[in-house]
Amino acid sequence: MLETDIYTVNVGPIHPSTHGGLHVEAIMDGEIIQDVVVHLGYVHRSVEKIAEGKTYQQFVPYTARLDYLATNLPVLGYCQAVEKLLGIEVPERAEYIRVIMAELSRIASHQIAISATGIDLGATTGLMYGMRDRERIMNIFEMTGGQRLLSSYIRIGGVAADIPDEFIPAVKSLVQDIPRMMEEYNGLMTGNEIWAARMEGVGILAPETAIQYGVTGPNLRASGIAYDLRKAEPYGIYDRFDFDLPLGKRGDSLDRWQVRIDEIGQSGRIIEQALKAMPEGEIKAKVPKVLKPAAGKEVYHRIESAKGELGYYIVSDGSSKPYRLHVRAPSFINLMVLPVICRGGVFQDIITNIATLDPILGESDR
Amino acid sequence: MKGQGLIKGLGITLKHFFQKEITEQYPDVMPELAPRFRGCLRFQFEKCIACGICVNNCPNDVLSFETEKSDKSKKKKLLSYSIDFQYCMFCNLCVEGCPTNCLYFDHDFELSSFEREDIKMIYLRPEGLDEAEDSQAEPEEQEDKEQKQIEAMLKALQKNPQKVLSRLLEGEEDINILSELIQSDQKTAGKIAELMIKDKEKALKVARGFINKEKKNRAQQEMDGGKGGDNDV
Amino acid sequence: MEALFINLAEAFTGWMIRLGLNPAWAESILLLVKWIIVITIITVNIIILIWLERKISAFFQERLGPNRLGPFGIFQTVADAIKLLTKEDIVPSAADKLIFKTAPMFFIVVAVMLYTVIPMGKDMEVINLNIGLLFFISVGSLSTIALLMAGWGSNNKWSLMGAVRSVAQMVSYEIPLAFSLLGVVMITGSLNLQDIVAAQDKWWFIVLQPIAFITYFIAATAELNRGPFDMPEAEQELTGGAYTEYTGMRWALFFLAEYTNLVAVSALMATVFLGGWQGPWLPSWLWIIIKTYAVILVFFWVKWTFPRIRMDHLMSFSWKVLVPVSLGNILLTGAGIYFCRWMGWC
Repeated sequence: MLETDIYTVNVGPIHPSTHGGLHVEAIMDGEIIQDVVVHLGYVHRSVEKIAEGKTYQQFVPYTARLDYLATNLPVLGYCQAVEKLLGIEVPERAEYIRVIMAELSRIASHQIAISATGIDLGATTGLMYGMRDRERIMNIFEMTGGQRLLSSYIRIGGVAADIPDEFIPAVKSLVQDIPRMMEEYNGLMTGNEIWAARMEGVGILAPETAIQYGVTGPNLRASGIAYDLRKAEPYGIYDRFDFDLPLGKRGDSLDRWQVRIDEIGQSGRIIEQALKAMPEGEIKAKVPKVLKPAAGKEVYHRIESAKGELGYYIVSDGSSKPYRLHVRAPSFINLMVLPVICRGGVFQDIITNIATLDPILGESDR
Repeated sequence: MKGQGLIKGLGITLKHFFQKEITEQYPDVMPELAPRFRGCLRFQFEKCIACGICVNNCPNDVLSFETEKSDKSKKKKLLSYSIDFQYCMFCNLCVEGCPTNCLYFDHDFELSSFEREDIKMIYLRPEGLDEAEDSQAEPEEQEDKEQKQIEAMLKALQKNPQKVLSRLLEGEEDINILSELIQSDQKTAGKIAELMIKDKEKALKVARGFINKEKKNRAQQEMDGGKGGDNDV
Repeated sequence: MEALFINLAEAFTGWMIRLGLNPAWAESILLLVKWIIVITIITVNIIILIWLERKISAFFQERLGPNRLGPFGIFQTVADAIKLLTKEDIVPSAADKLIFKTAPMFFIVVAVMLYTVIPMGKDMEVINLNIGLLFFISVGSLSTIALLMAGWGSNNKWSLMGAVRSVAQMVSYEIPLAFSLLGVVMITGSLNLQDIVAAQDKWWFIVLQPIAFITYFIAATAELNRGPFDMPEAEQELTGGAYTEYTGMRWALFFLAEYTNLVAVSALMATVFLGGWQGPWLPSWLWIIIKTYAVILVFFWVKWTFPRIRMDHLMSFSWKVLVPVSLGNILLTGAGIYFCRWMGWC
């Protein structure tokens, strides 16, 4: 008999496929994974502590640095939380602009997820096509917010400035092209037999496990559970839009991948409806220069971010700075399920699973 | 049939092979930037009134300036203004807060430099600015102005004490006590209004004094079982 | 034009004999010159090929590719080579130094040896070997050892995993590779590559042996460690596999050897299945170059379209699909040959 031994392989923190400073310690028996240990904290910037030293308005740009691939979503969550805390009513037009920007961010984030999965699995061309389409969204962000990646466009009480004239045609042409983009991703990758073989049945996340671990977002929906905060607990004006929730059947990597592609289409539908229904009017509510919520008041607000349920818990002590701010980061909680879905697979499945769980380390480490 | 997906993928890449490249020819052709694009933060010295809103708004302590009390006009005089770019996160909060639009972002995005010191931008007071400003403001007018300001402050204090006092004090309870005081007593109001214009720190001290006295009074009253109902200061 | 290089060689030997050299010595010197020419052509060709791959992959991805240095960026690879030559040569302290250092040399030597038997035109090859095809297959499989040396010598888990994978992969794909060529050998009855080319004057073997061509193409991709079978390298998973610890020129040698292998295998494919140097109008040596490059372009196309296959799927694909199919092809070819003889067609 040959004597065999169990060995560990450290995937990361410096590794091409860990999407940032993620360290995954894989305990291997040959090519079979026995266990996986996730080490976090390489991108820790103490964002929650920084919040205690900044005024409510000053912290807005920092929130964009949490999930930097879906810029407007974390900012939207924070601004809505502060608005809830102070009881600020946001003007109608601003709400519609926010929905459009949020859904564009969701598309941008999913496109990154798609392209990153492409390159992680060796389909380099898939990366380029995803990035190429994302570029158009970045151009839209540039024309509205002035910056491409971290535009900090959404502000407490509304948005920073009204949309420019060229915004609506640009968004319309983008929405029109979404079916073509989806067809291309599906044709190049989803339909490919090698791709399907690498993803099908890999990293199966059972619905019960997903609920037990608190997994949210596309990962949960891929397991077949129709839970989306936009429908379950509509924030902002999301109850006015008609859209479907793409669901998976098996909960494997292929389902997680397919759900993301389909969600791009649904986001396109929401944007279309929002563009049609957008009224004229104010874009920012009257917000005092210094925000001082009543002492002891606290609020928890959650939104459906591109990665899952993003929540902000803010406690006020009556001053212009929050007493305590906590972020419920979906990536952090989704990553915790990685060992469960990796066990028993082969080494290459770790990469597939990280890619399809789509964590963002800026958010999970904070 | 197996293999169809592979052939479809090959077809897609082949189609793109003959399509036009979309690469931006960056150093040769400069990219077209949106009008709102935030490149380099610039400062116009002549427009600045040294109000400090930008410094207060900045989340990262990028901005700082030095002032000097002018001998003739008793007005704050801006000596230098510095932007420490290495900490800037281009959030636009300073530009939005600026009342005179002296800060703005231009489209220059090539901000890298060889030395760390070169990143910091310091604007020094241009020569010839002093004379131009001195000729505008005269000392007598200044005193008149102050008197007018005190009167305006007094009016505001009597009309809406909570709001005005929130600029001076922190804590809701204290503000409420003092505003009650002001509404009942003209003299106190006058004193606080004058001090608030002339010397804010002294105003704070005096206000604290008033509040403590009032608090003691109230505590006394409660101990007495609420016998005396009136506020007498 | 046709016999340009042959005439040049004859003139060279004739000149040496006239100088008073022994004909046997002149012949040896000519062999040496041929070798030097082969190596020069390989190196120059690789430089063009790397540029071409970067350019073509860029076009597939709607990019421009290298375009700064020289016309269309053609000197980019030269600049890269100079950069790699001047880089610090790092040998990990825990590495098995002898194996670590010899692995890249071994790899490139094996790769260059493949060129000795490929007919680059009518009567144009370094050695006209009567077991040319066998030589090619056996020498080609030696590169496995170089990869294993690199993986073991680096003393790194990633390298070793990459090396073990590549050995498993290459050993498995060696079999369908050889079997798919057997059909051609059965038809021609010779292992000599010139004979095989000569047998294709009417029909190319891609028409007579289409299944063999497809199985050979797949097996050759795996043998070359090219995408979608780039398992030993696997940048995204194994961070470079067997090459993880290599820097500078040592790494460049691996790179060079991989492209050398690519050209050799493509040339063999052109020789065995696409009629070799045969073709109308143009001289024979130009035809083989055109055909080789056409095959290389298909390799590029496949690599830049497909994702990487998983290790266990790769193995099961070889043993469960490719080996039975190539064996079936041999059976079919044998039956076909007997049928032809029985009918009196050949």
